[in-house]
Amino acid sequence: MNKFFVLLNVSLRSMLLSSTNSRGRSKRKAATGLGAVFLIAFLGLYLSGLYSYMLMKALAPSNMEVLVFVFMGMVALVGGLLFTTFAVKGVVFGGKDNDLLLSMPVPTTMLMVSRVTAIYLENLLFAVFVLVPAGVICTFLTQNGVGLSLLFWMRLGIAVLALPLLDTALSVLLGALVAFLSVRVSRKALGQNIVMGIFMAAVFYFSFHLNGMINSLAENAAGVKASLTWAAPMLWMGEGIMGDWKMLLVFVLCCVFPFALVVMGLGRGYRQAVTAFAARSVQSNYKLTAQTASGQKKALLKKEMQRFFGTPMYFWNAGIGLIMLLAAGGASLVMREKLLAYVEMAGYPFPLLPMAAAVIGFGLCTCPITAPSISLEGKYLWILRESPIEESSLLWVKVGFQLLLTLPCTVIAGLCISIAFGFSLRQGAVLLIATLLFAIGHAAFGMLMGLCFPKLDAVNETVVIKQSMATVLAMFASMAVLGVAAGFYYLGSKTAPWTALALPIGVFALFATVCIVILTRQGPALLKKL
Amino acid sequence: MLHIEHYSKTYPGGKKAVDDLTLHVGPGEIYGFIGHNGAGKTTTLRAVAGVMDFTEGTITIDGHDIKKDPVQAKRVTAFLPDNPDIYAFMKGIDYLNFIADLYDIPADQRTADIGKYSDAFELTDNLGSPIGSYSHGMRQKLALISAFIRRPRLLILDEPFVGLDPSAAHIMKGYLSELCQSGSAVFFSTHVLEVAEKLCDQIAIIKNGKLVQSGPTAELVGDSSLESVFLELEGER
Repeated sequence: MNKFFVLLNVSLRSMLLSSTNSRGRSKRKAATGLGAVFLIAFLGLYLSGLYSYMLMKALAPSNMEVLVFVFMGMVALVGGLLFTTFAVKGVVFGGKDNDLLLSMPVPTTMLMVSRVTAIYLENLLFAVFVLVPAGVICTFLTQNGVGLSLLFWMRLGIAVLALPLLDTALSVLLGALVAFLSVRVSRKALGQNIVMGIFMAAVFYFSFHLNGMINSLAENAAGVKASLTWAAPMLWMGEGIMGDWKMLLVFVLCCVFPFALVVMGLGRGYRQAVTAFAARSVQSNYKLTAQTASGQKKALLKKEMQRFFGTPMYFWNAGIGLIMLLAAGGASLVMREKLLAYVEMAGYPFPLLPMAAAVIGFGLCTCPITAPSISLEGKYLWILRESPIEESSLLWVKVGFQLLLTLPCTVIAGLCISIAFGFSLRQGAVLLIATLLFAIGHAAFGMLMGLCFPKLDAVNETVVIKQSMATVLAMFASMAVLGVAAGFYYLGSKTAPWTALALPIGVFALFATVCIVILTRQGPALLKKL
Repeated sequence: MLHIEHYSKTYPGGKKAVDDLTLHVGPGEIYGFIGHNGAGKTTTLRAVAGVMDFTEGTITIDGHDIKKDPVQAKRVTAFLPDNPDIYAFMKGIDYLNFIADLYDIPADQRTADIGKYSDAFELTDNLGSPIGSYSHGMRQKLALISAFIRRPRLLILDEPFVGLDPSAAHIMKGYLSELCQSGSAVFFSTHVLEVAEKLCDQIAIIKNGKLVQSGPTAELVGDSSLESVFLELEGER
């Protein structure tokens, strides 16, 4: 049993840190692991707390609280799947320590069970953070006081323990499919980008339509419940938590049975599965034709582009702001009437121009493309170092790449918003000048942060893109600059209208100038020192 | 071709990795650099390639100081580390074109050279695959091809035989000789003493950061073998 816990410990750390051979210090490693837990906790508590409250308020009057647990159960199930499907690919099938552990005198089944248990524990964590807040809200908002009994919490506890079994069974199957496809599909990045795109579109759609969905749910709760036959296990769970022990037992069996089936099935062919999914898929059909030449800068720019679009983690984390900018521009035109009605409802002169600038500025802050780019060179930095390129060229190409993406999106968003809200030519020009200056400053600032807080020995892209100091500062310090500009707008509006516009532009111009000057003077030396 | 004069490298914390190293590599020479693990070979090669900064001494390549004129010095060199990590998100052919673009290699020349070397190393068929799917040996071959297509005046190799199959190692030795016949020089580190003895015109032995012996291979080895000389100098015999 000791061996099992040692293996479980390794798998858990591998999952939370995305790798077991981190070279960081133990405190930093622990912080990284805790960061992942906090992310799950925050997402779970936020999603569950907010939506459970909204749903419970709408459904409790008609005694349809059971639907809250049905929907929160779905959130826990889908959220858990999103968190763990790719973890299954890495931890259960594609662990870097596969060769080492499979060669040890440990039963293969024990190794597999320890890894699947690690996945179960992560799903359990998500289920706790989603279902327990729903239970708390049920305690306070139900009409019949069912949430106040100890038995309710016992039933909820059983459901919380059982649901992750179903989640784990599904994520192991999906993870196996992802691992299987990964070694057979040549354009993996494109496939992952398409899947993430569909997911993001669904999230946007859900967010925009949430209020309407909850209202219609409250109006026809019984009908909705009757139509949920396709989600029967969730319905059994909800009925079980609310008091039906028989339904709870059916739900538990419905979770345990597939889990046991998956574990037993995998136990039989685990070594074969790991071997099959580790097989390389090098194509052997390339025919060399006449090549074309291009310049140094174009080659460097193309490399940045290939990395950005070919690394889904990079694209969806550092590029989400680009989509938000375009979506904001499009939405302002499509939903013009609704937005203007909201503005009128405010009842006082709404500062539309600074609000538009703030929205675009926020979108830009969520595009820290340059910030992780030095750390992403990591083990590849020797290629650039031994090449006949000036350090300054390398840095400016990276800044240029971010601007190549952000400037057109900024202009499109600015133009769409200006047209939607009927800004005058002067107002539109002010909006564009201010946001373009901020975009330039943000790109240069991100590059500086990347040079000041490099993570060249990071074990994977996730650590660099999501958890590095450079990325966090590039996002939040830039937001602080937006805050300073807003403060100057407020101060300026107390004197004359033109100062209210000129002062924020001055702040953005100063921000861009200072960052460019520091990057020009110190950047190459900082890069050389790495 | 390569002049290393009184080069020293001290790491943060005060550890001296290389101490007052002076050696010269002439045009057309294959120069072997041998020593035990941690002797300072890689530190020296990385400094010569301009990958790592140093504070003491000077290194000039084909008349260009690597510190004062790094871009020109790097234009005439190619460096291959012991474990070449290459962009996993690129295809093999993209990487070769990327390197060719950085070195301003004309289209005709690159097409011909990529064909010549990738055919020789039996990698042409795989150039359309992402580098992330390559084995260690394939990555090593790709890195070698990317070095050869530059037609460097100085080729710097750190443990080039590690990971190569015997056939690829034989092909590489042939191309190293061909490169030297055209007037270029090769400076490489290795632990394979038999290869160094057969391949190198000159050999330098480094121990604890200090040069303990250097000179033409025939003079250094004499009637003995390089292995015996090396072990004697290392104090292990």
